[in-house]
Amino acid sequence: MVTAELTMDRIHRREKLFNRICAGVLIAFALLWLIPLLWAVDTAVKPNAETTRTTWLIDNPTFDAFTRTLRETDMWSWYGASFIVSSLAALGTVVVASMAAFALSRMRFRHKNIVFWAILAGIMIPGQVLIVPWFREFDALRLLNTYWAVILPQIPAAIAVFIFKQFFDGLPRDLEEAARMDGASFFRVYRRIVLPLARPAVAAVAIFTFVTTWNDLLWPLLVLSNPDLMTVPVGLATVQGAFGIRYADTMASAILGAIPLVAVFLLFQRQIVQGIAGSGLKG
Amino acid sequence: MTRNLTRRQLLAVAGLGATAALTGCSTVAGGLTTSRETGTLDFWNLFGGGDGVRMQQMLDGFRAEHTDIELAAVTLAWGNPYYTKLSLATLGDRPPEVAISHLTRMKNLVRADLLEELRPEDLARHGMTPDKFNQRAWEAALVDGKAYCIPIDTHPFVMFYNTDICQKAGLLDAAGKLTPLDSTEAFTDAMRKAKEVTGAYGGALAFVSETSTPWRMFQSFYSQLGGQMLAESGTKVVIDDAKATQVLEFMKKLTGDGLFPSPIDYQGSIAMFANGQSGFLFQGEWEITTFQTAKLPFSMTLFPNVFGGGGNYAVQADSHTFVLPRQPNRDAARLDRSLTFVRSMLDQSKTWTEGGHVPLWLPFAESSDYARMSPQSNYASAADAAAYDAEGWYSGSGSNFEIITGSAIGDVLSGAATPQQAIAQMRGNLEQLAGTPSPL
Amino acid sequence: MSTQTSAQTDADARRGIAPTAPRPSAAPRQGRPAAAFLAPFAVLYLLFVIGPALYGLVLSFTDASLVKPGLNGSAGFGNYAEALGSADFWSSLWHTLWFTILTTPPLVILGFVLALLANRMTRGTWFYRLAFFAPYILPSAVVALIWMWLYTPALGLFDTALTKLGMTAPSWLGDAAWAMPSLAITTVWWTLGFNFVLYLAGLQEIPRDLYEAAAIDGAGPWQQIRGITIPMLGRTTTLVAVLQVIASLKVFDQMYLMTSGGPNFASRSILQYVYDQGFTNYRVGYAAAVSMLFFLVVLAVSAVWFTLVRRQERVV
Repeated sequence: MVTAELTMDRIHRREKLFNRICAGVLIAFALLWLIPLLWAVDTAVKPNAETTRTTWLIDNPTFDAFTRTLRETDMWSWYGASFIVSSLAALGTVVVASMAAFALSRMRFRHKNIVFWAILAGIMIPGQVLIVPWFREFDALRLLNTYWAVILPQIPAAIAVFIFKQFFDGLPRDLEEAARMDGASFFRVYRRIVLPLARPAVAAVAIFTFVTTWNDLLWPLLVLSNPDLMTVPVGLATVQGAFGIRYADTMASAILGAIPLVAVFLLFQRQIVQGIAGSGLKG
Repeated sequence: MTRNLTRRQLLAVAGLGATAALTGCSTVAGGLTTSRETGTLDFWNLFGGGDGVRMQQMLDGFRAEHTDIELAAVTLAWGNPYYTKLSLATLGDRPPEVAISHLTRMKNLVRADLLEELRPEDLARHGMTPDKFNQRAWEAALVDGKAYCIPIDTHPFVMFYNTDICQKAGLLDAAGKLTPLDSTEAFTDAMRKAKEVTGAYGGALAFVSETSTPWRMFQSFYSQLGGQMLAESGTKVVIDDAKATQVLEFMKKLTGDGLFPSPIDYQGSIAMFANGQSGFLFQGEWEITTFQTAKLPFSMTLFPNVFGGGGNYAVQADSHTFVLPRQPNRDAARLDRSLTFVRSMLDQSKTWTEGGHVPLWLPFAESSDYARMSPQSNYASAADAAAYDAEGWYSGSGSNFEIITGSAIGDVLSGAATPQQAIAQMRGNLEQLAGTPSPL
Repeated sequence: MSTQTSAQTDADARRGIAPTAPRPSAAPRQGRPAAAFLAPFAVLYLLFVIGPALYGLVLSFTDASLVKPGLNGSAGFGNYAEALGSADFWSSLWHTLWFTILTTPPLVILGFVLALLANRMTRGTWFYRLAFFAPYILPSAVVALIWMWLYTPALGLFDTALTKLGMTAPSWLGDAAWAMPSLAITTVWWTLGFNFVLYLAGLQEIPRDLYEAAAIDGAGPWQQIRGITIPMLGRTTTLVAVLQVIASLKVFDQMYLMTSGGPNFASRSILQYVYDQGFTNYRVGYAAAVSMLFFLVVLAVSAVWFTLVRRQERVV
């Protein structure tokens, strides 16, 4: 007994030391990870002329760079564009994908396996390889330089169907079957019973579509060529040259571009983190 | 498992959305439909730094004079991205009414059928007849004898020098003028003397993350020797090995001997000259504003005629021009609005010239006003000696052509490649483009 | 979410059969409502995925130009031959692979190690999550602006810090040899949080009593990690690694924004090559052919993933 307690004690002490080292390493890395962000903020609150001295000290704190950026760029339009495009893409994806998944999960029809595999195959086709045909297609549809060009290709996301189907498959069916017995239509069951139960899946798909659409660069860069239509990333990528060596302004524009998503992140931290953990969703 | 959305979160999102939608209201509506407002004038340019500031002044001048036209000006990052954007916007039926294009890039836009032809009668209606422009630039801008652009300036590669440092180095004559650097010896000697004064470097030439600047210096020297890069509309590569090697060997020695810093990027070269760490800077004349703002004792002059000898002066240059991208529908009122705008810009040539560019609008270029502007008029003759980039579907300012050549030249300056390797690399890459059927 | 579904439903999902649904013979088919529910997705899917994919295939055999209508004449296999014979194509493909090689190991290993450390902490998890995950949520353009400033020669934070330590900083984005590692460093900073979160979730699923049992048997922390944690995280690692490889292959933003593919094209990725050819040079047909070749590469990687997952599922 005594020797066992001693060993346990030693193990505990050893573990405590180990934990302390772990904490040290972890905090060091976390700080390292925060430096770029802190440096961006540090630079943005200085006058432009003082940014080139490269010091963390802020002698004359000012928000001029922020007000100047808001005044000289179309930042507000970009916010509006990003918000509309991302929201509509998220809404569209949730509706269209959950309906398809509902059919795959709850209905019996011919060639269901073929349909399912045809959709699953879509996961393999990255949007990036379709930019060339997409551009010609939207050109032919006369939809270039409209938000539809950004929204529409985002919506048929095979991965979202897959996520919804997995979730629906895991839901209990007693309630639905009772409703069907009472003569409720499939749409009613979908709308009133399944969708409310699937709120976690809806949240995950909606948030992820929103964030990926918001952050998308390559495709919007091609189709939104008018600056007052641009999304935040496209706007920042396009006008960055105009700032030249005004580092404070550049950092202010970066921070302003980051704010909405940082807000989304802080609000939905749990959903985002659990969404990733659960599904391994990635652009 | 993922927790349900809370009411608080939904409210926050709705609030964010409402704010965003309200602030971007008009444009949001614009993005969901294909219609567009009338009576406005969108103008795209690629001017940053001092040019951007002066363009802003000119735009304000236009706004004050024409309150009936709502002008929306947009500045985009220059180079390939700008021209790609301009092409895509025109293809996508939302081009700006007026845009800036380099003269050397304008031709490919014309061949791609993206620009409106400017008919002489329309131009004449706004007083813009060919005889009012510098002839070299006007004629260089014609495509099959037709006008598609209105040039406003020639922007040559020039030499900036710090007058204090040159004074101390004994490079100024009694009148305070820089002694000519018109031979390899004189040039190298001046750089060495300036280096002794600064204790750091003689001159500075950006070549890191920057391909246009090394190309400009090379092209200036190479054209002074009479060298050509491309022939037959870019379908043939005709690099003269002997001449190119001569120029590259010379440039290589500048960094190799420590007269020029290596490696150095664009902004670094500007900072170096502004801080007095180099006596000379080789760059486009547009950097004038930077040094005026910095209250630096400096002047500017023609890029030295190191290889040209007596009569054969040449300097790399391009011209900024106004173009009218092809609109989805014709509209006479819009055309007049656009030309009124261009004319107003030409009339403000003085403001533009303050930014260092050589004016082409003769009513101003031949005036005593211009002759009195110093240092801007020191290099006025560069407009007549302009060596524009060769024609080709892949050529023009900031194009693949300049990236290919400028990168190879940069490798020589950094010591990563020998002149022979650089020429082989240029030729190989250019021949590949030259052999590809033109998509225009 | 998938963690909720059992192995049984997983298997059913793969067969496309609802777990508790009666067998097909037992009830009438529901073709009409099913068609109605599938229609919106199907229409968009055909219009914006399958259709464009086939159209892209057609374009790749033509000399189509961005600024000319129509297909502009057949090129046969000319575009493919040109791409496969083009040094630029191969070098941009190599840059993409090189970027993948540079980013995947640090992202997987650091993600694992940091998650392991964070999992041992009883307090401050929100702080680590914020520090590591916040960058992931930022748009690439924001990341690029911040890091271009950090990398600025002479004036940037890195150069200044290294100079103070008596070292000479390399020309981060300007030197052909350094550009890709610099972009990789930025990318590791940007996307590490994603892997961190995946690993953290994986770690939390390992039953506590396994460790307790090991501790009683006298296993130290290091033995516990080697004996329990690493084997138990096998599936997570496969997932992380494959998602990482596929994401890295699709890299475009960082290069486009931070180096424009330079210096001297030393960091141009395959997608930027497509962009340059198709939209800057107007060569749509050729760009479509390069896209198809790129698609084959992604497909090959995905196939490897499926094989790995299949094998793991048989083992576990």
